[in-house]
Amino acid sequence: MANAMDFDDMLQKIKDRQWALADIDWDAPGAETISPELHAKLQPFMADLMWIENVGARGFAAMAKKAPTETLREIYRYFHAEEQKHANAELALMRRWGMLDGDEIPEPNINVKLVIDFLDKYSDDMSLSFLGTVIPMLEVALDGALIKFIMDEIEDPICQEAFKKINSDESRHLAVDFAVMDLLGHAGMRKLLTELVGGWVKPTFLIGVLSYVPLLNKMRDNIVEMGVDEEKLYAAFKRYANVGERSEFARRLPMFQIVKRHSGWVINREHPYHLMADALVKVSAHVPQRWLRQPTWSKELTYEPAA
Amino acid sequence: MTKDLMNTQILDVAIIGGGFAGIGAAIRLKQKGIGDFAIFERGTSIGGTWRDNTYPGAACDIPSRLYSYGFAPNPNWSHTYSGSNEILGYIESMATQFGLHRHFRFGHNITGIVFDEDAGVWDISVEGRADIVRARTVVLASGPLANASLPKIPGIEDYQGHKIHSARWDHDYDFTGKKVAVVGTGASAVQIIPELVDKAASVKVFQRTPGWVLPRINRQTSPLTKELYRRVPAAESLSRAAWFYGHESVALGVVWNTPLTRVVEMVGRAQLRRQVKDPWLRRQLTPEFRAGCKRLLMTDDYYPALQRENCKLVTWPIARISERGIRTAEGIEHQADCIVFATGFEVSKAGTPIPIVGRDGRVLATEWQRGAFAYKSIAVSGYPNLFFTFGPNSGPGHNSALVYMEAQINYLVEAISTVLDRDLRMLDVRRERQDEYNAAIQRRLDSTTWNSGCRSWYLTEDGFNATMYPGFATQYVGQLRTVELGDYHVVPVTAERTAPRIVVNS
Repeated sequence: MANAMDFDDMLQKIKDRQWALADIDWDAPGAETISPELHAKLQPFMADLMWIENVGARGFAAMAKKAPTETLREIYRYFHAEEQKHANAELALMRRWGMLDGDEIPEPNINVKLVIDFLDKYSDDMSLSFLGTVIPMLEVALDGALIKFIMDEIEDPICQEAFKKINSDESRHLAVDFAVMDLLGHAGMRKLLTELVGGWVKPTFLIGVLSYVPLLNKMRDNIVEMGVDEEKLYAAFKRYANVGERSEFARRLPMFQIVKRHSGWVINREHPYHLMADALVKVSAHVPQRWLRQPTWSKELTYEPAA
Repeated sequence: MTKDLMNTQILDVAIIGGGFAGIGAAIRLKQKGIGDFAIFERGTSIGGTWRDNTYPGAACDIPSRLYSYGFAPNPNWSHTYSGSNEILGYIESMATQFGLHRHFRFGHNITGIVFDEDAGVWDISVEGRADIVRARTVVLASGPLANASLPKIPGIEDYQGHKIHSARWDHDYDFTGKKVAVVGTGASAVQIIPELVDKAASVKVFQRTPGWVLPRINRQTSPLTKELYRRVPAAESLSRAAWFYGHESVALGVVWNTPLTRVVEMVGRAQLRRQVKDPWLRRQLTPEFRAGCKRLLMTDDYYPALQRENCKLVTWPIARISERGIRTAEGIEHQADCIVFATGFEVSKAGTPIPIVGRDGRVLATEWQRGAFAYKSIAVSGYPNLFFTFGPNSGPGHNSALVYMEAQINYLVEAISTVLDRDLRMLDVRRERQDEYNAAIQRRLDSTTWNSGCRSWYLTEDGFNATMYPGFATQYVGQLRTVELGDYHVVPVTAERTAPRIVVNS
C-alpha cells in the first residue's frame, strides 16, 4: 500500500478536499443532546483534544522544513494547517456546547503542555526520520483514538459532521505518515543508525521522552475517567505496529522498532514500565506552569469561521 | 506576400514596445544615423513597466545611478534608489531629449510577425488593422515584465470585493478604513505593504514562501552632489562605476552558490533578528532556500510593517477565494474589502509574447515550448533580422538590468546597421553557434543559486532556467561588444537562397 503512494496525486487530493469552518452550521439544533453529566466530562477532554491537534500541527510544521521534496513539504504545510483547522473546529464545538468562557481559549493539561513546549523548542532540529516515526504514533494513538471515542459517544449531528471531516483528513495524514515511514526505511542502515544515535544522544531528547511518556499514560487515565474502555486507545497503538510491520522498509527503521516496543509496554498494564510512567504523570503535575510559555502561534486558534 | 503589399512602405526598423528597452534602442539607432524606425506601443503612453507599476511605494531596488543608461546620464536623481515616478520622468525626458515622440505609434498592439524570406522583410500584424506593417529588422522590446499575472487560485472569479493587481494599480480606490488582503510577498509586495499598513484598517499578508530580505539604505542626494554631477560628468561616471563594481562583487555570493552566499544569508538573518523579536514570526519569515535563488528583497520597512497592530502575516496555504475573502487551509475565511495581488508577471520562459513565424514557416513558440533559448539572448537561428532585448538567459541577479540592456541595444544596433549598410536579406545566427552557446550557458547555470533547488519565476515547470545569465555583468557585456559576422549566415538581398534550410526540432 504505502510504498505505492503518488505524493503529487495525494497533494492534489488534499487541495481538492479542503473544507472550512464556514461549511458547518454551528448553530444548528443538536447541542441539547449533550447531557449535563457528559458536558462536565467532555469539557476537559475536548480542551485536551484541541491541544493534542496542536501537537500534530507543530510536528508537521517541523516536518515541512525537513521533507526531501517540494511536494512533500507542501503536503506537510497543508497537514500543519489542517491540524489547526481541527483544533479550530473543536473550539467551535466547545463554543456550541457552551464550554468556553467568553473568548478565552481553554488550557490543556500539563502533559500536553509539556509536549507542545518540547516540540516548539526542539522539533525543528530533529531529523525527518525521527519525526516521521514518532509523529505517526502520536497521530494514531492520541488523535485517532480520541476522535473514535467522540464519534462513538456523542450524538450531536453537528459534532458528527465535523468529526467526519476531521476523520477524513486524518486518514490522509496517516496514509502519508506510513508512506513516508516506508520511504525513510529505504535509506541505508548506516544512515538510519547514525540518525538514531544522533537523535538519542541529544540532551533535549531526554526532555522529549520525559514529556511523551507521561502524556500517553495521562491520556489513558483521562479516557478511563470518562468511562471509556481503554482498549480503544490500545487498539490504536496496535494499529501503528501492524501497519508499520506490513512494510518491509518501515520495519527497518530502528526508531520504529523502539516506538513499537514502547507502545507494547504502554498497552500492557502489568509491565513494570507503568511504575515509571505513572510516577512521571504525578511528578509532571507539579511542574510550575510558569516554566511553560504559551507559543505565540497558539494565539491564532479561533472558533470564528471568519476573521 | 501578395503583390499589392509589396508596395507598402518598408521600415528599416520596427521596435515593439515603448518601455526602457524600446526607447534605449531608438536612441542608439538615432545616434547611429538610422532614423527610419517606428516604436509600436500597445498603450497610450511610454514607459512600459514603469508606466504600469504605479502602486504606492513602487521603487527600484537597484541604485538609480546604475539603473539608468550610460549614454543618457541623469545628474538629478533625488535619492540613492528612486521611486517609479522619478524613473518614469527619466524615461519621458529621454524621449523628449532625443526627439522620439514622432516615432511612436500608440495603441498598436502587435498580434504577430511573419518573416518573408524572399524579400528579407518582417510582416507585422496590428490588432484591429487590416494593413500590415513591413520592416527589414525588428527589435522585440516587449519586456519580460509586461503582462500582469493573477494567480491560479480556485474561486478568484467569485470574489465580490475589490481586486487590484500591483501592476495595474487603482488610484481611485481609497484604502482608508478598509480590510485589505495582500497575496504575495515578493519585490512589489514588500514595497506596497508598508504603505497599505499606514492607511488601511487592517492588512493581512498571505505568504507562500518567505524571501531573503536585505537592508536598503536610501539616502537623499545632496544639491551639492547633483551640481557636481552636472558640472563634472566624469564624477558621475566614476560613481556609476563604483556602484557597478560593488554589485559585481555581490555576484560571488548571489549568482554562484559559494561560501559568500552564506555571508549574504547572514546579513539577511541579522536583519530578521534585529527587526523581528517573536520567534514564531521569525521562523515564518526565515527563507528555506539559498540567498539569490529567488530575487533578493531590499527593504528596511517590510518587517516593521508586518508587526504593526493592524497587520498580520498569514502563512496557511490558500484553499480558495470565496465571495467575501480568502479561505485558508486552517479553515478560516479571512474576509477583506479588497484583495491586492502582488503576484508578479507572466514571464515568457516558454512560448513567446506574440506569435513569431520565421524561415520556412517555423514557429518560435513551438521551438521554445520547453524553454526559451537564443544566441547571446538576442538572436534566434531561423528568425533573421530579429533581435530581442531581455531575451532568454539575460537576467541579472546581482546587477542592474539596464547595464545588460544597454549592451544588448549596442549589439543589436550594430547588427541592424550591418543589415542596412550591406543591404542584407538575412542576418541569421548559425544554429551550431547558438547550440554551443546554450550548452555552455546551461552547464554554467548548474552551479548557480537559481538552480539550487527552489521554485521561482526564473525556472519553467520542468526546472529549466531560460531566464538568468550565469555570470558577471562584465562577462555579459564583454560578449556583446562586437557582432562577429562569422556567427551568422550573412545573405545579401541580391543572393539566391544560400543559407541552408534548417529542420525545426521541437
